[in-house]
Parts: sequence; C-alpha cells; structure tokens
Amino acid sequence: MTTQELVDKAGLKALTKFTPRNVDGVFVSDMISDVMAGARSGNLWLTVQTHKSIVPAANMVDVSAIVITSGKDVPKETVDLASRYDIAIFLTDAPTFEAVAKLFELGIRPK
Amino acid sequence: MSECRHRWEMTNVRFGFIAFDRCFHCNRVKTYFWESTVPDPGDEYRDGACFWNRMEDAQSLMFDLRCTQCGRTESYRDLLGLLHCTSCLADCEIEIRRRELELRKIWVLVAFGFLPQAVEHPIPEHKLEILADYFNQRRDTSRSQIRILPFTLIKDLSLCRGDFIHDVGMLSPEPVTERRPLF
Repeated sequence: MTTQELVDKAGLKALTKFTPRNVDGVFVSDMISDVMAGARSGNLWLTVQTHKSIVPAANMVDVSAIVITSGKDVPKETVDLASRYDIAIFLTDAPTFEAVAKLFELGIRPK
Repeated sequence: MSECRHRWEMTNVRFGFIAFDRCFHCNRVKTYFWESTVPDPGDEYRDGACFWNRMEDAQSLMFDLRCTQCGRTESYRDLLGLLHCTSCLADCEIEIRRRELELRKIWVLVAFGFLPQAVEHPIPEHKLEILADYFNQRRDTSRSQIRILPFTLIKDLSLCRGDFIHDVGMLSPEPVTERRPLF
C-alpha cells in the first residue's frame, strides 16, 4: 500500500504535500531515541509528539510517513520542516490504539 | 585493509539520559551520559572555580555499530548525539555545506562528542562515515542520503541554535513546546 492509498482508505488528513511511497510496516513510539534504534525504512511512524525534532528523526530512519494520533495540534514549523524534507505528516483524531487497529484492518503488517 | 563491504547494524544499545551543565563563571558547557531509567536531579555543584548548573537533560541512547558480514564493531561511546542544523548562522561552515548538499538531496546531521573533551579529541572522521553508511544502508538512497559532519565545523558554538535529536521533557507533566538554547 502507498501513503496516498493510506490517506484515502484510513481517512487521514495530510498536513504536507508528499511524494507517494510504499508503506512497509508500522512503528509506534513517542520517543525519538526509540525511533532511532528501532524504526526501519518504509515504516509508518505513529506518535503523539509534534515538536519539530520528529522531522529530522523521521528523515534519518527514512520512515514513509509520520502519523500524528489523537488529533494533536501540529505546529506550523513542524509542517514546514517536513515539507522541506518531503516527509509526509498525516493527522488522525483516533487515539494510537484505534489508529493501529485501523491499519491492521487495512492489511498493514509488521515489516 | 579489509575487503568486506560492511553492512552495519546497531548493537549494544543502551538507553539513558544526557545532561548539559553550564558554568556561570566561565560559560563552558559540560555534557555526559548515564545509563538509567531515572533522571538525575541535576543539583548545582562546585568544581574548583566553576559553578555548574543543569541546562537540560534528555532521554537518549548510546550504541555501537557492528558489521553483519565480518563482525567488526565500532564503538560510539564518544557520541553525545546528533544535531539538526537550524540555519541559525548563514556563514557557519555547517550551514554552507548544508545548503550545497541539500541541492543534491543530501541531508546533513551534525555529530557531537562529549564536551569539553571532544573539542580537543573529536570523533574520528572514519566513524562519522560509518555512521552515515549505517543510515544510508537502511534507506532508499535514490531518493535522498544522509551526511554526518563534525561539530567542530560550527563557526561559533556559543551562537549555535541547532536542535539535538533527543527526547526532551518526556518525564515532565507539561508538554515541552520550546527548547532552551544549550550553548
């Protein structure tokens, strides 16, 4: 599944323009150090963190997109930085557990 | 010279905290890491003429890199963390190189050793190349690449407003919306 298909099927709101790419697994964590140690290229990263430092972390491990859960407000500087790096940021009102359930329902599995 | 085309993986991962202390007399910054799940209270302390105060602590990790092909291991015990350049000084060497490299979709990160010792003994260049290889081997490099530069290229550390890629305020009841300058 691509990030564009995911937006359409999971009802996510895209906060950035993005180049569609394949989604390959999911990583859930609110800690950047966890992401650096454990996320893999192509993973979707689900988090409630919105500080702009999530963008270089996401870029470093090459996630396919960041999904901000629980409808958190995402600062403009985070969105602007993500756009510069062509990192997709999607927003969902669902809490993380429900967002994961939806992704599983759509057929996304661990990498 | 090894002929192995190394494939790096992270190993010996230790989670803990890094701290930035500043002396209000000499304005120097001292950093350190401790492996723990519990933050250090960060009390003020004297050391000779210096009077150290905690500027910030953050959850972070330490790790080594190991080649899955030949078993060679590189220790990154001397890596404090990676910093994202925020373009705060137009004539800083990091910013100059960042602008050049970004045109080729090469994203720059800045590697910091522990202060103050890393000023005299920076992380060797070959280790920064290995670290960049590790990140690049995990990504689709036809889209973009990672380059890691030493912090010694920063024009004036006291003016640097880059963002460390670490976890600030995760144990705080209030969300951290803004980070304090560290240098």
